[in-house]
Amino acid sequence: MRFEQVWFRYARRADWTLREVDATAEPGSTVVILGRNGAGKSTLLQLAAGVLRPGRGAVRGRPAVVGWVPERFPADQPFTAGDYLRRMAEVRGAPESAVGHWIERLLLTEHADTRLADLSKGTAQKVGLAQALLVPPGLLVLDEPWEGLDSVARTLIPDIVAEVTASGGVVLVSDHRGEITALPGALHWTVADSTLQITAAPPVAPGASPAVPGASPAVPVASSAAPVAEDEVIVEVAVRRSEADRAVVALRASGHRVLGVRG
Amino acid sequence: MRIAGFVRGGRALAPLIAVLVELGIIYGGGASPAAVAYGYSAAALFPVLAWLTKLLLDAEPDVQRRLARLSVGPAREATSGVLAALLLSLAVCAAAMAAPWLFHGIDPNVELGSGIALGVLAHLLAVPPAIAVGALASRAVTGSIRLGVTVLVVAAVLVVVLGLSGSVAPWLVPPVMATARALNDPGVPPADELALLTGWAAVWCAVAFAGYGWLRRARS
Repeated sequence: MRFEQVWFRYARRADWTLREVDATAEPGSTVVILGRNGAGKSTLLQLAAGVLRPGRGAVRGRPAVVGWVPERFPADQPFTAGDYLRRMAEVRGAPESAVGHWIERLLLTEHADTRLADLSKGTAQKVGLAQALLVPPGLLVLDEPWEGLDSVARTLIPDIVAEVTASGGVVLVSDHRGEITALPGALHWTVADSTLQITAAPPVAPGASPAVPGASPAVPVASSAAPVAEDEVIVEVAVRRSEADRAVVALRASGHRVLGVRG
Repeated sequence: MRIAGFVRGGRALAPLIAVLVELGIIYGGGASPAAVAYGYSAAALFPVLAWLTKLLLDAEPDVQRRLARLSVGPAREATSGVLAALLLSLAVCAAAMAAPWLFHGIDPNVELGSGIALGVLAHLLAVPPAIAVGALASRAVTGSIRLGVTVLVVAAVLVVVLGLSGSVAPWLVPPVMATARALNDPGVPPADELALLTGWAAVWCAVAFAGYGWLRRARS
């Protein structure tokens, strides 16, 4: 998928939100969009998804099936979570079984009969994620997917991203909370001053502390290629899902390196 | 999904009350010939159906509309909204045509068969333009509630004002008032007059819906 000289502004006389965006995301790649609040990350993601149309230039080679997880799920709708997903499946032509699969996988079973408006932010976000995955997407666009999610749900996202890229899909994900270490090998695009800079993915620093103070720790997926020093051994530890975050923090506090978390 | 959301969300209530009030006003004063009564009913329903369409299309949050657009494509998303409005409007018209029989609002002794047929035609000529006006006033097109309401009100007023006999530019608006006038005259209007009204409505709707399609394509 390619951005070809894409310019975008929200109104005819407004300043350009994005200028001269030229970038390519190859099939099977993951791209993390970085940038300050209001830099234009969401705008770039919506242009990629096809929600917004470029003012100039074009986005070419977009896969036919696009899954878009908006930054804020539109919870102001008179449906229960299960009802909403069943209706979206109908609209998208997905089988009924896909609804059950994603409700179970995203741990939404106990919330399936809750009205959307009564869901917590994180649970509503999971419904948003589920609707994007009802039909296996060729392009998955995740706008701040970690926002409001609990530690267990957060560990699911890298797995889902890996599944989409493994089947040749492209994943674009924005992040301002330093969770990106969970996506090793991702390309980094940085939006600043209305332009896009492409930076190579830096190597994941094992044991790196979260970028935002007070934020939950980054949980990289297990990487078998992690370098191990001569005086080190790898100890595999199983902890309760609900305590994964705390265990990672405690281990790091004790001076150990956490190489990965897998579910 | 749209209709379910609209009905469950309770937004359908206000226009339905308006329909009931209108029917009460039209049929409360005694029996009249079918063609005359239905002609007025169709004209009176026009602004309500336009409002109903706007409310239906606006019931969906913007982000949900964009999700639907991504799922089925822009053309199908826009068409499905119009079809949902058509379905609801036809149901309202059917109810409006059945209602006078409950309180003897129609005189069964005057040209009943042709009157009902003309009534059906009058309602069918009012529904598509009403939906077009409502669609053009929807938030997806106007972007703001205030502009949407302005479009709706101005269009409804113009349909009446420019539709009066002796109007300077009657062709600017759909033939809602012209149809009501034609049905008010005693006897069945000549076929060429009915054909003219139908053609007029069709051309007007074609232009209005083309405008809607163009505006929706340009906006998310």
